[in-house]
Amino acid sequence: MKRNLLCMTAPVREGFDIPCHEIGPNAAHPAVALVAGLHGDEINGVFILSRLADFLNKVEAGAYPELKLVKRVLIIPAVNVLGVNLRTRTWPFDKSDINRMFPGSTMGETTQRIAYAVLEATKRAEYRIDIHTASTDFEEVPQVRLYGPSAAERKTAHLFGLPAIMERSLSPVFTTTMMYSWKVWPGESFVLRVGQGGTVQLEHCQRTFRAMVSFLGRIGVLEGVQISVEDEEICCFDKPSAFRVFAEKAGTFVSDRQVGRWVRAGQELGFIYDSFNGSVIEKVVAPVAGLLSGIRRHPLLFEGDLILRVNRKGL
Amino acid sequence: MSVPPIMNIETFFTIDMPYRERMEIRRTVFRGGEGPKVAVVAGLHGDELEGLYVCHRLAAWLDELQRSNPKTLLGHVELYPAVNTLGLDTLTRGLPVFDTDLNRAFPGSAGGPLPERLAAALMTALSGSALVVDIHASNIYLREIPQVRINQEFESLLVPIARNMNLDLIWLHSAATVLETTVAHSLNSCGTPCLVAEMGVGMRITPEYCDQLVAGILAVWKGLGVLAQDVPLPATAHTPLIADDSNVHYLNAQTSGMFVPTTSHWTDVHRGQLLGTIVSPFRGDILSDVRSPVDGILFTLREYPLVYEGSLMARVMAKTEGTV
Repeated sequence: MKRNLLCMTAPVREGFDIPCHEIGPNAAHPAVALVAGLHGDEINGVFILSRLADFLNKVEAGAYPELKLVKRVLIIPAVNVLGVNLRTRTWPFDKSDINRMFPGSTMGETTQRIAYAVLEATKRAEYRIDIHTASTDFEEVPQVRLYGPSAAERKTAHLFGLPAIMERSLSPVFTTTMMYSWKVWPGESFVLRVGQGGTVQLEHCQRTFRAMVSFLGRIGVLEGVQISVEDEEICCFDKPSAFRVFAEKAGTFVSDRQVGRWVRAGQELGFIYDSFNGSVIEKVVAPVAGLLSGIRRHPLLFEGDLILRVNRKGL
Repeated sequence: MSVPPIMNIETFFTIDMPYRERMEIRRTVFRGGEGPKVAVVAGLHGDELEGLYVCHRLAAWLDELQRSNPKTLLGHVELYPAVNTLGLDTLTRGLPVFDTDLNRAFPGSAGGPLPERLAAALMTALSGSALVVDIHASNIYLREIPQVRINQEFESLLVPIARNMNLDLIWLHSAATVLETTVAHSLNSCGTPCLVAEMGVGMRITPEYCDQLVAGILAVWKGLGVLAQDVPLPATAHTPLIADDSNVHYLNAQTSGMFVPTTSHWTDVHRGQLLGTIVSPFRGDILSDVRSPVDGILFTLREYPLVYEGSLMARVMAKTEGTV
């Protein structure tokens, strides 16, 4: 069932709303709340959640007789609706970042009102998941991000079956994010970071879609899911395990490496070319052996730009 | 015998860009005696120009001092008029390419990407100053009277300085963790006093506000011993009101449309007074009246007419015993 979380007016166009899917048995609060598109340019998450809504609606309609949705799921494929349509990360009118407007307010700025409506709809769910991508310049392996997690969240994070779980402290810098506001409430909260902004990466999306379905199966919200045993191990990485390579020279960076692959220390991962005369000015190599968890995709490098990140295993 | 030049424009930060060009950020330095060092920072946001003009006016005043009485510059003055050089040169508030608000990148780190690297360079350059003034010009939406905004965490240190800055308002903010990444918070946290001046409106300059702040900055510099006591300064005539969370009232739009003010900025208003209306270009009637919730002073007024539901149109400071 489609519901509007919030209906608002606009200066000269028609009013707009933020629609969500509510699927499964009626309940005072959803068991699972899934959110994407807080940033309008993070299309992977919007695509994954819209496809998941289609799938769960078909489950409800009886298209998969072996599956049964036994608890309510709330899905908001895109919070920044206008940002998706206009391809902007932020709220297009005042360029504010909706994920810096939480917990929001009913009386404040437009984006604070949006944040408030999203928080109200999601905060009482047992499991809350916010899907992001990296920026439009960078690609991340599909991963679970934990911010100052509880023991239960650390355990539950494995249920997605995604290849990497990254743990970070809950810095005060995140105070105005949705994740931070969620953590005030009982229940468990997760951020998924999937691929690169500004595009749909089918392989990452399919993998994350399967992860979401597996997750819903394992937590008992979707009954009848046949979970295939992934042959790839799940690795947990803390911040000290991350080794970043920054550009010592400006230029054009080119790499055909894929994220999510294991690399050797010293392995060549790409080259920086002089953008004017075309000569190779630097070979970029893996700083340590580990998982290539993120790599730059926009070729033009300023001096100092982040080129890649390798996470060392087993620290 | 000629006097050695005390003014110098120098590059304090450079970084290579992808195709050939090298970005350089410059400062103007006035070297006087062995007295305290002070600095003025402007243009962290590429759409805020008031601080650039303040730097020009300060440079003009110091040029004249150099000609007429160079020995009265007892300290060392650094002006950083255009920190977000690329943003200013391209009409962009944030740092172009990085889509980053530079004033959310502090204290930065020396080896990281451009925003962090620039923030770290600025921190190094400014640390140890007797006073840094970071000048902002609101944004393109709202017009502000000349004021200083102080995090209550640093109130006891900064308010006495701010009182002498010839401004109309001191606004004490409760400690907000989200602002920890500003240059002011980072400097104040490491013992370098930094005042955030806020005035005017984005993409414009308001010369009378700029001259008002110039007079205030010079007065404070004299108090710090940067300028000799016998240097004649422009007159200062402004005494600040004190605002805080208890007496500031926000007027957010109840509906979307065009906000048309009916009251002048920086005037006394009474409870229920019409401050403006919200209208639609499609219709002849009025969508919403905007009225003052209290007796007070209209110190923020929307400059950019279009509003969404929720857009801030005005702030009114209630008249209470908090005023001085």
